[in-house]
Amino acid sequence: MGNYYIGLDGGSTYLKVALVGYGKVVDTLVRNTGIDNDGTARKLAAELCARNNLTPQDIGYIMATGYSRKVLEVADDDISEITAHAYGVRLTAPQGYRPGMIIDIGGQDSKIIYLDENGAVRNFSMNDKCAAGTGKFMEVIAQILETTIDKVGPLSLEATNPCDINSTCVVFAQSEVISLVARKYDRRDILAGMHLSMVRRMIKMMKKSEKGGDILMTGGGALNVGLHRAFEQELMRDVFVADFPQFNGAIGAALIASERG
Amino acid sequence: MNIQTSQMLRQERQNKRFTDKQTQTAAKYLRRLIELPGEPEGIEPFYYALGRIYVKMQGLDLPQGTKTVGTYCVMAPQELIYAAGAVPVKLCSGNYTAFSIGEDIAPRDACPLVKAVAGFKQTGLMPVYEDCSLMVVPVTCDCKKKVAGMLGEMCDVMTMHVPATRGDDEIDEFVSQLYTFAERLEQATGNRITYKTLADGFAKVGYAQRELSEFIRLKKQNPYLIRGSHTMAIMNAAAYMPADRWAAALNRVNVSLRRRAAAGQTVTTKKLPRILLTGSPIVFPNLKIPLLIEEMGGIVAADETCMGERGMYDPPVITDDSFDGMIRALANRSLRPCPCPTFADNSQRLYRLKQLIADNHIQGVIYHVLRGCLVYDFEYKRIEEELGKLGIPVIRLESDYNEEDVEQLRIRIEAFIELIKLRQAPEKRTEVRTAF
Repeated sequence: MGNYYIGLDGGSTYLKVALVGYGKVVDTLVRNTGIDNDGTARKLAAELCARNNLTPQDIGYIMATGYSRKVLEVADDDISEITAHAYGVRLTAPQGYRPGMIIDIGGQDSKIIYLDENGAVRNFSMNDKCAAGTGKFMEVIAQILETTIDKVGPLSLEATNPCDINSTCVVFAQSEVISLVARKYDRRDILAGMHLSMVRRMIKMMKKSEKGGDILMTGGGALNVGLHRAFEQELMRDVFVADFPQFNGAIGAALIASERG
Repeated sequence: MNIQTSQMLRQERQNKRFTDKQTQTAAKYLRRLIELPGEPEGIEPFYYALGRIYVKMQGLDLPQGTKTVGTYCVMAPQELIYAAGAVPVKLCSGNYTAFSIGEDIAPRDACPLVKAVAGFKQTGLMPVYEDCSLMVVPVTCDCKKKVAGMLGEMCDVMTMHVPATRGDDEIDEFVSQLYTFAERLEQATGNRITYKTLADGFAKVGYAQRELSEFIRLKKQNPYLIRGSHTMAIMNAAAYMPADRWAAALNRVNVSLRRRAAAGQTVTTKKLPRILLTGSPIVFPNLKIPLLIEEMGGIVAADETCMGERGMYDPPVITDDSFDGMIRALANRSLRPCPCPTFADNSQRLYRLKQLIADNHIQGVIYHVLRGCLVYDFEYKRIEEELGKLGIPVIRLESDYNEEDVEQLRIRIEAFIELIKLRQAPEKRTEVRTAF
């Protein structure tokens, strides 16, 4: 039997693949999800193996997670994103992280998962009905401000006087931002305001009673330094950022797979 | 066409839309129950009862001239209603269509159950409501209090006071409530409640309780002989069937379950996490939570809800067999063992939950809260804490009478089931992979 395990995370925007072996993250890959989820997943799995000089026999178990997990037939089983993310942090959390809260900011949803001191899921809240506080939201605003999503974070750090953005809905926030642009506000200030507004909204989702442990950011949103800083400012405490934040779900799935192979 | 006719036609069209929507939802949930694998033999009469009320939109299946009395809580003793020669029908509603109408009548923060009741009464289209000679509303929460007033404008209603504590004085007070109830029943039915008819009432309900306790004994078995969603359908059907007919039908289910047990037949051979469902009432067709649990790979091994097993679980204990003694037995039964959160001190519920957990080898508890159902929501924290000490995970699911939240509920339920599964030893893959 193989000693390596693959986790597939079929997200709304990207398909992420992680290879885990001997309790470590070996390699990761990401590709646009496309139309043929299963086909993309098979290709990525093969590519991942080839890159690491492995054969299919070396793969003990494949676990799928994410929106399209049920159609990824290459996987032996599937697991919900919540469980996958909770497992993922066992490999991705930086040193010194005490399990507590995970803030996952994905392409089209965001969720908060509460862990107990052993890292098991205790509870979670999700925002999956609207795009506020998600990667999509950032993308839309970045477009209006004629920049790209990877520059949004660094630009916002240069802000001197963050704007107030009160709308929580993408569509309304969009018109709010457009009117700020029309009034000649600095786009760095607008971006900083956008991050603060997203963060305040996420904080409202958090449970007051779940205060134990540390806070960790995962998902593509964790790559945004502006968002990270806004969280630390608003929560007034340290917020950790996971290693491979985008791949946290896939890594978690691979780790669960390693218990099955 | 004059204005009157055109208004009438318009009303008719509105009514038709309501009826169509209502029956479609009910039919869909019945279908989901039927499609869920592992239903026991003999469950058909229960489906028939639910279908008759909500899909065919007819009244109870009773001989011509039998009067029905609507109840809105298990605390109104059925025995008394049978003693007056009438048949009780539980009118607490789980109906999505009626709920959407009730939303315009009741305030936003009222619970969906009360909104649905108000909606049904407003439309005047449900025979099961319209046929009632009397309705009795035990005041177990503020919403029930207001709905009693609202219903009172449209039909004969008795508001039954339920005390917040269960001392001897409160039981005495409740006994006098029951005497008033008996009088109101006599007025509404034109029949006298005598020692003999009351004893007959006890016998009818007693028969149902005997069959129920046998059913619960069979249901406890691990691995399981029946799914919780099917149990829920059986228990819900009790609301719309006379007790003796329900008991006779349940007897046939019990026989088939005993046969299953003897043949070593179970619902499935898989090791499904055993879940206890508790909290706010779960009323047909609002079975989305038990159905989701079982569709996502769990099993509702037991429930502690008032339209479920709680309804007839506790038998009355008669220590003095005079008429007054029997009324006192009913009062005692209604209040003392009741785990309803309407009571200020409800340690009773905690004992009951712990007992259910032990009896049914429960691995996790799903706590259902109907939005606006404050008394149940209040108890969540304590129960979560107490069950946490036993190492039993508890999850709170807040929901409403609509299907918009099904996907969110599904993911929460799925993650909860996974959490329990991950505590068990995993199933390993043994085949060698040759390609992707």
